[in-house]
Amino acid sequence: MSREFHPLVKQLLDGERTLSELPPELQAEGAEALRLLEAVDRRDVTFSSRLEARVMREVRQRVAARRNRANSDPVLWRWLTAPSVPPWVVGAVLAAAGIALVLGRPGSGNGPAMVAPATAVIPESVYVKFLLFAPAAKRVALAGTFNRWDPGTTPLVRLGDDGVWTVTLGLPVGQHQYAFVVDGQRWVVDPAAPAVDDGFGRKNSVVSVSAAQGRVL
Amino acid sequence: MPAALAGAVTVLLDSAAARKLPGAPLVDKALEGVAKGAPAERILVAVRTVFAQLDAAATVLGETGSASADAVEAGAFALAAGLAASDIAEIARIADRAHPAATALQVAGTLTALGVPRAETVALVRTTIRSGRPVGDLVSLPGQVQAAMAGGSPPAAAAAGLERAAAAHLAPRPRGKGKGQGNPHKP
Repeated sequence: MSREFHPLVKQLLDGERTLSELPPELQAEGAEALRLLEAVDRRDVTFSSRLEARVMREVRQRVAARRNRANSDPVLWRWLTAPSVPPWVVGAVLAAAGIALVLGRPGSGNGPAMVAPATAVIPESVYVKFLLFAPAAKRVALAGTFNRWDPGTTPLVRLGDDGVWTVTLGLPVGQHQYAFVVDGQRWVVDPAAPAVDDGFGRKNSVVSVSAAQGRVL
Repeated sequence: MPAALAGAVTVLLDSAAARKLPGAPLVDKALEGVAKGAPAERILVAVRTVFAQLDAAATVLGETGSASADAVEAGAFALAAGLAASDIAEIARIADRAHPAATALQVAGTLTALGVPRAETVALVRTTIRSGRPVGDLVSLPGQVQAAMAGGSPPAAAAAGLERAAAAHLAPRPRGKGKGQGNPHKP
Protein backbone atom coordinates (compact mmCIF):
# COMPACT_ATOMS: atom_id res chain seq x y z
CA MET A 1 0.00 0.00 0.00
CA SER A 2 1.47 3.41 -0.95
CA ARG A 3 1.16 6.54 1.11
CA GLU A 4 1.35 10.18 0.08
CA PHE A 5 3.13 12.39 2.60
CA HIS A 6 2.57 16.11 3.06
CA PRO A 7 5.01 18.13 0.85
CA LEU A 8 6.74 19.53 3.96
CA VAL A 9 7.23 16.00 5.28
CA LYS A 10 8.72 15.04 1.91
CA GLN A 11 11.19 17.90 2.36
CA LEU A 12 12.03 16.43 5.77
CA LEU A 13 12.76 13.07 4.12
CA ASP A 14 14.91 14.85 1.50
CA GLY A 15 16.97 16.45 4.23
CA GLU A 16 15.79 19.96 3.37
CA ARG A 17 14.07 20.47 6.71
CA THR A 18 14.48 19.22 10.26
CA LEU A 19 11.69 17.71 12.32
CA SER A 20 11.60 20.74 14.59
CA GLU A 21 10.95 23.00 11.56
CA LEU A 22 7.69 21.24 10.74
CA PRO A 23 4.44 22.81 11.95
CA PRO A 24 3.06 21.19 15.11
CA GLU A 25 0.27 19.45 13.20
CA LEU A 26 2.84 17.66 11.00
CA GLN A 27 5.29 16.61 13.72
CA ALA A 28 3.71 13.20 14.22
CA GLU A 29 3.57 12.52 10.49
CA GLY A 30 7.19 13.61 10.14
CA ALA A 31 8.34 11.33 12.95
CA GLU A 32 6.46 8.40 11.40
CA ALA A 33 8.02 9.10 7.99
CA LEU A 34 11.52 9.14 9.51
CA ARG A 35 10.83 5.89 11.30
CA LEU A 36 9.75 4.24 8.04
CA LEU A 37 12.83 5.60 6.24
CA GLU A 38 15.18 4.13 8.80
CA ALA A 39 13.71 0.72 8.16
CA VAL A 40 14.65 0.87 4.43
CA ASP A 41 17.49 -1.42 3.37
CA ARG A 42 20.24 0.95 2.17
CA ARG A 43 22.89 -1.61 1.40
CA ASP A 44 24.70 -1.13 -1.93
CA VAL A 45 23.43 -3.34 -4.70
CA THR A 46 26.06 -5.38 -6.52
CA PHE A 47 25.74 -7.63 -9.52
CA SER A 48 27.69 -10.74 -10.40
CA SER A 49 30.07 -10.66 -13.36
CA ARG A 50 28.07 -13.53 -14.90
CA LEU A 51 24.97 -11.36 -14.97
CA GLU A 52 26.91 -8.55 -16.63
CA ALA A 53 28.27 -10.97 -19.26
CA ARG A 54 24.75 -12.28 -19.96
CA VAL A 55 23.35 -8.78 -20.36
CA MET A 56 26.16 -7.68 -22.67
CA ARG A 57 25.69 -10.81 -24.80
CA GLU A 58 22.01 -9.94 -25.13
CA VAL A 59 22.81 -6.32 -26.02
CA ARG A 60 25.27 -7.38 -28.74
CA GLN A 61 22.74 -9.85 -30.17
CA ARG A 62 20.09 -7.13 -30.32
CA VAL A 63 22.45 -4.71 -32.02
CA ALA A 64 23.46 -7.36 -34.57
CA ALA A 65 19.81 -8.29 -35.16
CA ARG A 66 18.88 -4.65 -35.77
CA ARG A 67 21.78 -4.29 -38.18
CA ASN A 68 20.74 -7.43 -40.08
CA ARG A 69 17.15 -6.26 -40.36
CA ALA A 70 18.22 -2.84 -41.55
CA ASN A 71 20.51 -4.33 -44.16
CA SER A 72 17.91 -6.80 -45.47
CA ASP A 73 15.18 -4.23 -46.02
CA PRO A 74 16.20 -0.66 -45.25
CA VAL A 75 12.90 0.88 -46.31
CA LEU A 76 10.76 -1.48 -44.25
CA TRP A 77 13.17 -1.17 -41.32
CA ARG A 78 12.93 2.61 -41.33
CA TRP A 79 9.13 2.40 -41.39
CA LEU A 80 9.02 -0.08 -38.55
CA THR A 81 11.56 1.38 -36.19
CA ALA A 82 10.52 4.04 -33.72
CA PRO A 83 12.70 7.19 -33.62
CA SER A 84 13.89 6.46 -30.12
CA VAL A 85 14.58 3.46 -27.94
CA PRO A 86 12.02 2.97 -25.18
CA PRO A 87 13.43 4.43 -21.98
CA TRP A 88 12.91 1.20 -20.09
CA VAL A 89 15.41 -0.54 -22.40
CA VAL A 90 18.08 2.01 -21.59
CA GLY A 91 17.22 1.91 -17.91
CA ALA A 92 17.12 -1.89 -17.74
CA VAL A 93 20.48 -2.32 -19.45
CA LEU A 94 22.12 0.31 -17.26
CA ALA A 95 20.61 -0.94 -14.03
CA ALA A 96 21.28 -4.63 -14.63
CA ALA A 97 24.86 -4.40 -15.82
CA GLY A 98 26.13 -1.23 -14.15
CA ILE A 99 27.63 -0.28 -17.47
CA ALA A 100 29.81 2.77 -17.70
CA LEU A 101 30.45 2.99 -21.40
CA VAL A 102 31.39 6.53 -22.16
CA LEU A 103 33.51 9.46 -21.31
CA GLY A 104 34.99 11.56 -18.61
CA ARG A 105 38.34 13.31 -18.66
CA PRO A 106 41.77 12.73 -17.04
CA GLY A 107 41.15 14.96 -14.14
CA SER A 108 42.83 16.48 -11.18
CA GLY A 109 40.72 14.36 -8.89
CA ASN A 110 37.94 16.92 -8.82
CA GLY A 111 36.16 16.06 -12.03
CA PRO A 112 35.22 13.28 -14.41
CA ALA A 113 37.88 10.77 -15.50
CA MET A 114 38.09 10.00 -19.24
CA VAL A 115 37.83 6.57 -20.75
CA ALA A 116 37.50 5.69 -24.41
CA PRO A 117 34.03 6.13 -25.91
CA ALA A 118 32.01 2.97 -26.49
CA THR A 119 30.90 2.01 -29.95
CA ALA A 120 27.36 3.18 -30.51
CA VAL A 121 24.86 1.01 -28.65
CA ILE A 122 21.75 3.13 -29.18
CA PRO A 123 22.01 5.48 -32.18
CA GLU A 124 19.94 8.35 -30.71
CA SER A 125 21.60 8.51 -27.31
CA VAL A 126 25.03 8.06 -25.79
CA TYR A 127 25.95 6.89 -22.30
CA VAL A 128 27.77 9.56 -20.33
CA LYS A 129 29.36 9.08 -16.92
CA PHE A 130 29.21 11.95 -14.45
CA LEU A 131 31.57 12.10 -11.48
CA LEU A 132 31.83 14.47 -8.53
CA PHE A 133 34.32 14.45 -5.69
CA ALA A 134 32.29 15.44 -2.61
CA PRO A 135 33.55 13.54 0.44
CA ALA A 136 31.45 15.52 2.92
CA ALA A 137 28.16 15.11 1.05
CA LYS A 138 25.39 12.90 2.36
CA ARG A 139 23.69 12.72 -1.02
CA VAL A 140 24.33 14.05 -4.50
CA ALA A 141 21.95 14.29 -7.43
CA LEU A 142 22.15 15.49 -11.02
CA ALA A 143 19.73 17.99 -12.54
CA GLY A 144 19.74 19.33 -16.06
CA THR A 145 17.93 19.89 -19.30
CA PHE A 146 17.86 16.12 -19.84
CA ASN A 147 15.66 15.47 -16.77
CA ARG A 148 13.73 18.75 -16.63
CA TRP A 149 15.97 19.97 -13.81
CA ASP A 150 14.50 17.46 -11.36
CA PRO A 151 17.26 16.22 -9.04
CA GLY A 152 14.87 13.66 -7.58
CA THR A 153 15.08 11.55 -10.73
CA THR A 154 18.86 11.20 -10.97
CA PRO A 155 20.68 10.46 -7.72
CA LEU A 156 24.39 9.68 -7.81
CA VAL A 157 25.88 6.67 -6.09
CA ARG A 158 28.83 6.95 -3.75
CA LEU A 159 31.82 4.81 -4.77
CA GLY A 160 33.45 3.37 -1.68
CA ASP A 161 34.94 5.70 0.90
CA ASP A 162 36.91 7.98 -1.44
CA GLY A 163 34.23 10.63 -1.64
CA VAL A 164 33.55 10.09 -5.34
CA TRP A 165 29.94 10.09 -6.49
CA THR A 166 28.89 8.82 -9.90
CA VAL A 167 26.00 8.16 -12.25
CA THR A 168 25.85 7.00 -15.88
CA LEU A 169 23.04 8.25 -18.09
CA GLY A 170 21.94 7.74 -21.65
CA LEU A 171 21.76 11.26 -23.08
CA PRO A 172 20.24 12.26 -26.41
CA VAL A 173 22.74 13.51 -28.95
CA GLY A 174 23.13 17.28 -28.65
CA GLN A 175 24.07 19.82 -26.03
CA HIS A 176 22.84 19.79 -22.42
CA GLN A 177 23.23 22.00 -19.35
CA TYR A 178 23.38 20.54 -15.85
CA ALA A 179 24.56 20.91 -12.27
CA PHE A 180 25.09 18.66 -9.29
CA VAL A 181 22.81 19.14 -6.27
CA VAL A 182 24.58 18.36 -3.00
CA ASP A 183 22.51 17.47 0.05
CA GLY A 184 19.36 18.73 -1.60
CA GLN A 185 20.25 22.39 -1.52
CA ARG A 186 23.71 23.26 -2.83
CA TRP A 187 23.99 23.59 -6.62
CA VAL A 188 27.52 22.79 -7.78
CA VAL A 189 29.01 23.02 -11.27
CA ASP A 190 31.14 20.25 -12.70
CA PRO A 191 34.69 21.50 -12.11
CA ALA A 192 35.92 19.76 -15.27
CA ALA A 193 33.30 21.09 -17.69
CA PRO A 194 32.70 24.48 -19.32
CA ALA A 195 30.20 26.70 -17.52
CA VAL A 196 27.74 29.39 -18.55
CA ASP A 197 25.65 31.85 -16.53
CA ASP A 198 22.33 30.36 -15.57
CA GLY A 199 20.48 33.67 -15.20
CA PHE A 200 19.97 33.06 -11.47
CA GLY A 201 23.33 34.19 -10.16
CA ARG A 202 24.95 30.79 -10.59
CA LYS A 203 26.49 28.79 -13.42
CA ASN A 204 25.50 25.67 -15.31
CA SER A 205 27.89 23.10 -16.68
CA VAL A 206 27.68 22.17 -20.35
CA VAL A 207 28.06 18.75 -21.96
CA SER A 208 27.95 18.08 -25.70
CA VAL A 209 27.29 14.58 -26.94
CA SER A 210 27.71 13.27 -30.46
CA ALA A 211 26.82 9.83 -31.75
CA ALA A 212 30.20 9.40 -33.39
CA GLN A 213 32.44 10.66 -30.61
CA GLY A 214 30.47 10.30 -27.41
CA ARG A 215 30.93 13.07 -24.89
CA VAL A 216 32.92 15.91 -26.43
CA LEU A 217 32.52 18.54 -23.68
CA MET B 1 5.33 25.96 -11.29
CA PRO B 2 3.21 28.77 -9.77
CA ALA B 3 0.15 29.58 -11.84
CA ALA B 4 1.08 33.21 -12.46
CA LEU B 5 4.53 32.23 -13.66
CA ALA B 6 3.12 29.47 -15.84
CA GLY B 7 0.77 32.01 -17.40
CA ALA B 8 3.58 34.43 -18.16
CA VAL B 9 5.73 31.66 -19.63
CA THR B 10 2.80 30.55 -21.78
CA VAL B 11 2.54 34.05 -23.22
CA LEU B 12 6.24 33.93 -24.10
CA LEU B 13 5.79 30.48 -25.63
CA ASP B 14 2.99 31.85 -27.82
CA SER B 15 5.26 34.70 -28.92
CA ALA B 16 8.04 32.24 -29.64
CA ALA B 17 5.72 30.09 -31.73
CA ALA B 18 4.54 33.14 -33.66
CA ARG B 19 8.16 34.00 -34.48
CA LYS B 20 8.99 30.34 -35.24
CA LEU B 21 11.44 30.16 -32.34
CA PRO B 22 12.02 26.89 -30.44
CA GLY B 23 9.97 26.86 -27.22
CA ALA B 24 11.75 24.08 -25.33
CA PRO B 25 14.59 26.35 -24.08
CA LEU B 26 12.01 28.68 -22.52
CA VAL B 27 10.31 25.85 -20.65
CA ASP B 28 13.68 24.44 -19.58
CA LYS B 29 14.72 27.78 -18.12
CA ALA B 30 11.46 28.16 -16.21
CA LEU B 31 11.73 24.64 -14.79
CA GLU B 32 15.34 25.32 -13.87
CA GLY B 33 14.38 28.44 -11.99
CA VAL B 34 11.67 26.63 -10.06
CA ALA B 35 14.06 23.80 -9.20
CA LYS B 36 16.65 26.29 -7.96
CA GLY B 37 14.10 28.07 -5.79
CA ALA B 38 14.39 31.39 -7.60
CA PRO B 39 11.63 33.99 -7.09
CA ALA B 40 9.00 34.10 -9.82
CA GLU B 41 10.07 37.57 -10.99
CA ARG B 42 13.66 36.42 -11.47
CA ILE B 43 12.55 33.32 -13.33
CA LEU B 44 10.53 35.47 -15.68
CA VAL B 45 13.53 37.71 -16.32
CA ALA B 46 15.66 34.67 -17.08
CA VAL B 47 13.07 33.23 -19.45
CA ARG B 48 12.74 36.59 -21.21
CA THR B 49 16.52 36.69 -21.58
CA VAL B 50 16.49 33.28 -23.26
CA PHE B 51 13.69 34.49 -25.52
CA ALA B 52 15.74 37.54 -26.49
CA GLN B 53 18.79 35.38 -27.23
CA LEU B 54 16.74 33.02 -29.39
CA ASP B 55 15.20 35.97 -31.21
CA ALA B 56 18.56 37.63 -31.80
CA ALA B 57 20.09 34.39 -33.03
CA ALA B 58 17.15 33.75 -35.35
CA THR B 59 17.40 37.25 -36.79
CA VAL B 60 21.12 36.95 -37.48
CA LEU B 61 20.91 33.41 -38.82
CA GLY B 62 17.90 34.23 -40.94
CA GLU B 63 19.99 36.77 -42.80
CA THR B 64 22.60 34.10 -43.54
CA GLY B 65 20.07 31.43 -44.47
CA SER B 66 20.98 29.18 -41.55
CA ALA B 67 17.94 29.55 -39.29
CA SER B 68 17.12 25.92 -38.48
CA ALA B 69 15.80 25.28 -34.95
CA ASP B 70 19.07 23.57 -33.99
CA ALA B 71 21.10 26.48 -35.32
CA VAL B 72 18.92 29.03 -33.52
CA GLU B 73 19.32 27.17 -30.20
CA ALA B 74 23.05 26.86 -30.77
CA GLY B 75 23.24 30.55 -31.65
CA ALA B 76 21.37 31.48 -28.50
CA PHE B 77 23.77 29.32 -26.49
CA ALA B 78 26.73 31.07 -28.13
CA LEU B 79 25.25 34.47 -27.24
CA ALA B 80 24.67 33.33 -23.65
CA ALA B 81 28.27 32.13 -23.50
CA GLY B 82 29.52 35.60 -24.47
CA LEU B 83 29.79 35.80 -28.25
CA ALA B 84 28.32 38.78 -30.08
CA ALA B 85 25.69 38.77 -32.81
CA SER B 86 28.39 39.68 -35.34
CA ASP B 87 30.38 36.60 -34.29
CA ILE B 88 27.30 34.40 -34.79
CA ALA B 89 26.79 35.87 -38.23
CA GLU B 90 30.40 35.30 -39.26
CA ILE B 91 30.40 31.72 -38.07
CA ALA B 92 27.13 31.02 -39.86
CA ARG B 93 28.60 32.45 -43.07
CA ILE B 94 31.67 30.23 -42.76
CA ALA B 95 29.64 27.09 -42.03
CA ASP B 96 29.08 24.67 -44.88
CA ARG B 97 27.42 21.32 -45.52
CA ALA B 98 30.28 19.41 -43.97
CA HIS B 99 30.36 21.77 -40.95
CA PRO B 100 26.76 22.76 -40.19
CA ALA B 101 26.05 26.09 -38.53
CA ALA B 102 24.49 24.43 -35.46
CA THR B 103 27.63 22.39 -34.82
CA ALA B 104 29.98 25.32 -35.45
CA LEU B 105 27.98 27.56 -33.10
CA GLN B 106 27.87 24.92 -30.36
CA VAL B 107 31.62 24.55 -30.61
CA ALA B 108 32.14 28.31 -30.61
CA GLY B 109 29.88 28.76 -27.57
CA THR B 110 31.69 26.00 -25.69
CA LEU B 111 35.09 27.50 -26.50
CA THR B 112 33.90 30.86 -25.17
CA ALA B 113 32.51 29.17 -22.05
CA LEU B 114 35.99 27.72 -21.50
CA GLY B 115 37.40 31.25 -21.47
CA VAL B 116 38.68 31.59 -25.03
CA PRO B 117 38.23 35.25 -26.06
CA ARG B 118 35.79 36.03 -28.85
CA ALA B 119 38.37 36.88 -31.49
CA GLU B 120 40.36 33.69 -30.91
CA THR B 121 37.17 31.62 -30.85
CA VAL B 122 35.96 32.88 -34.20
CA ALA B 123 39.43 32.60 -35.74
CA LEU B 124 39.84 29.00 -34.58
CA VAL B 125 36.43 27.91 -35.82
CA ARG B 126 36.93 29.76 -39.13
CA THR B 127 40.36 28.30 -39.82
CA THR B 128 39.32 24.78 -38.84
CA ILE B 129 36.35 24.84 -41.20
CA ARG B 130 38.29 26.42 -44.07
CA SER B 131 41.10 23.93 -43.69
CA GLY B 132 38.63 21.29 -44.86
CA ARG B 133 39.21 19.06 -41.85
CA PRO B 134 36.37 16.70 -40.96
CA VAL B 135 33.59 17.88 -38.68
CA GLY B 136 34.92 15.59 -35.93
CA ASP B 137 38.01 17.81 -35.74
CA LEU B 138 35.77 20.83 -35.26
CA VAL B 139 33.74 19.07 -32.58
CA SER B 140 36.86 18.03 -30.70
CA LEU B 141 38.25 21.58 -30.43
CA PRO B 142 36.86 22.32 -26.94
CA GLY B 143 38.39 19.11 -25.63
CA GLN B 144 41.73 19.99 -27.16
CA VAL B 145 41.63 23.47 -25.68
CA GLN B 146 40.75 22.06 -22.29
CA ALA B 147 43.59 19.55 -22.50
CA ALA B 148 46.00 22.39 -23.29
CA MET B 149 44.61 24.39 -20.38
CA ALA B 150 45.15 21.41 -18.10
CA GLY B 151 48.80 21.60 -19.16
CA GLY B 152 49.01 25.21 -18.03
CA SER B 153 48.22 27.05 -21.25
CA PRO B 154 45.85 30.05 -21.00
CA PRO B 155 42.67 29.62 -23.06
CA ALA B 156 43.66 32.25 -25.63
CA ALA B 157 47.07 30.72 -26.18
CA ALA B 158 45.61 27.22 -26.41
CA ALA B 159 43.16 28.35 -29.08
CA ALA B 160 45.82 30.28 -30.97
CA GLY B 161 48.05 27.20 -31.05
CA LEU B 162 45.28 25.06 -32.48
CA GLU B 163 44.47 27.75 -35.01
CA ARG B 164 48.08 27.78 -36.22
CA ALA B 165 47.96 24.01 -36.56
CA ALA B 166 44.76 24.21 -38.58
CA ALA B 167 46.18 27.05 -40.70
CA ALA B 168 49.09 24.80 -41.68
CA HIS B 169 46.58 22.73 -43.61
CA LEU B 170 45.62 25.83 -45.55
CA ALA B 171 49.19 26.78 -46.61
CA PRO B 172 49.98 25.89 -50.25
CA ARG B 173 52.57 23.14 -50.61
CA PRO B 174 55.85 24.23 -52.22
CA ARG B 175 56.40 22.81 -55.72
CA GLY B 176 59.17 20.25 -56.19
CA LYS B 177 62.52 21.67 -57.44
CA GLY B 178 63.86 18.51 -59.01
CA LYS B 179 65.65 15.49 -57.66
CA GLY B 180 68.11 16.25 -54.91
CA GLN B 181 67.53 19.99 -55.02
CA GLY B 182 64.49 20.56 -52.83
CA ASN B 183 65.86 19.03 -49.64
CA PRO B 184 68.94 20.75 -48.20
CA HIS B 185 69.63 17.75 -45.96
CA LYS B 186 69.80 15.25 -48.76
CA PRO B 187 73.37 14.33 -49.85
